[in-house]
Amino acid sequence: MDCMPRKSENAGMAPTDLPMPSMGPLSRVAPKPMRFILNWGRRYSLWVFNFGLACCAIEFIATSMSRHDFIRFGVIPFANGPRQADLMVVSGTVSDKMAPAVRRLYEQMPEPKYVISFGACSNSGGPYWDSYCVTKGVDQIVPVDVYVPGCPPRPEALLNGIIRLQEKIAAESLPERYTWARSHSPSGETLLRPPLNPPEAPV
Amino acid sequence: MTRQYPEVQPELPARSRGVIALVEENCTSCMLCARECPDWCIYIDSHKETLPSPEGGRARTRNVLDRFAIDFSLCMYCGICIEVCPFDALFWSPEFAYSEYDIRDLLHEKDRLGGWLESVPPPPAHDEKAEPAKELQVAARPPRPARDAGAPAAAPARERPVREPRAAAVRAIKPPGSLPKRPDPDPDPEGNGSGPRPTRGEPPENVT
Repeated sequence: MDCMPRKSENAGMAPTDLPMPSMGPLSRVAPKPMRFILNWGRRYSLWVFNFGLACCAIEFIATSMSRHDFIRFGVIPFANGPRQADLMVVSGTVSDKMAPAVRRLYEQMPEPKYVISFGACSNSGGPYWDSYCVTKGVDQIVPVDVYVPGCPPRPEALLNGIIRLQEKIAAESLPERYTWARSHSPSGETLLRPPLNPPEAPV
Repeated sequence: MTRQYPEVQPELPARSRGVIALVEENCTSCMLCARECPDWCIYIDSHKETLPSPEGGRARTRNVLDRFAIDFSLCMYCGICIEVCPFDALFWSPEFAYSEYDIRDLLHEKDRLGGWLESVPPPPAHDEKAEPAKELQVAARPPRPARDAGAPAAAPARERPVREPRAAAVRAIKPPGSLPKRPDPDPDPEGNGSGPRPTRGEPPENVT
């Protein structure tokens, strides 16, 4: 039993089948009340990382300021960097040149991480869906949890999106999330949610 | 002062551009909105229905709306579809809280678009001294006298002179520049365009 992994190590660059990193032993075996507490802690301390790419970022900043003040929801604005953030709000047009940076900074965020797509441009390209250089939705490069519609959305719409994200966090269980990812990702990618267009699309 | 959003709903002005509501009965599927939409985010399907004429005339066709969907993940909230709609089928609603977990749910079909109608604010009131709306004027006008001569004589006789000068006045106002060329041979001392107008206006003054 012990020599099996060592053998595979000795085989050189063969990919080792490591288990997915778990979020601590507690959450895997946790009974429901404990999971509730873990989710409760997670949903009310979302350090947010603002990926402001266009005019929607102004609305995001307005939401973070004192008039709307999303610290009321435990969303703490302006984390020092992606490595200290839990929530990424992509607000604005993601151009194809910016897309690798979006993806890279998303990958630098620690798990569990959440993404809100804010505004028409990051939902699906918006008015630029026909452009040659605009990514048609940030969900093509990172998995998105909540889509906030608008052009730009009102600050209250972002607050509503945050509330819906918190509802989602409250209902989720991380082991399920990661077992899904393990069974569906072809190459160990951090694909955490179902792809957008499943093959059994209705109509 | 911080607005307590989820507990206190914001007071939005009536012209807020939140979401687009659809009155399905008013839509004739003329496709003007879908064609004018800069994002092409309106999807309309319809078919034609032939109704036999009840009195044996030509059969009538009408459009039946099968699908009306707006993709709010694409919509840029310009309101051109609402302005261009000739039958008042689209309205702004200030509703904004419809973020979704799945982007496919942002495509609102016609039943969901019709559901937004509840939150559409009433149209703004007229100014106090403005004349009433044209619809109200038409509704307040007495009904047309019956064609047969048996109708009471007083009411039609009262109405005729009122209606006649109004039509004349409208016709006189309509072409401002080209008016003096044609109609009346008797020259006005001023003669510069305003000449024919009083002469046309005279008969009503005489009658009333």
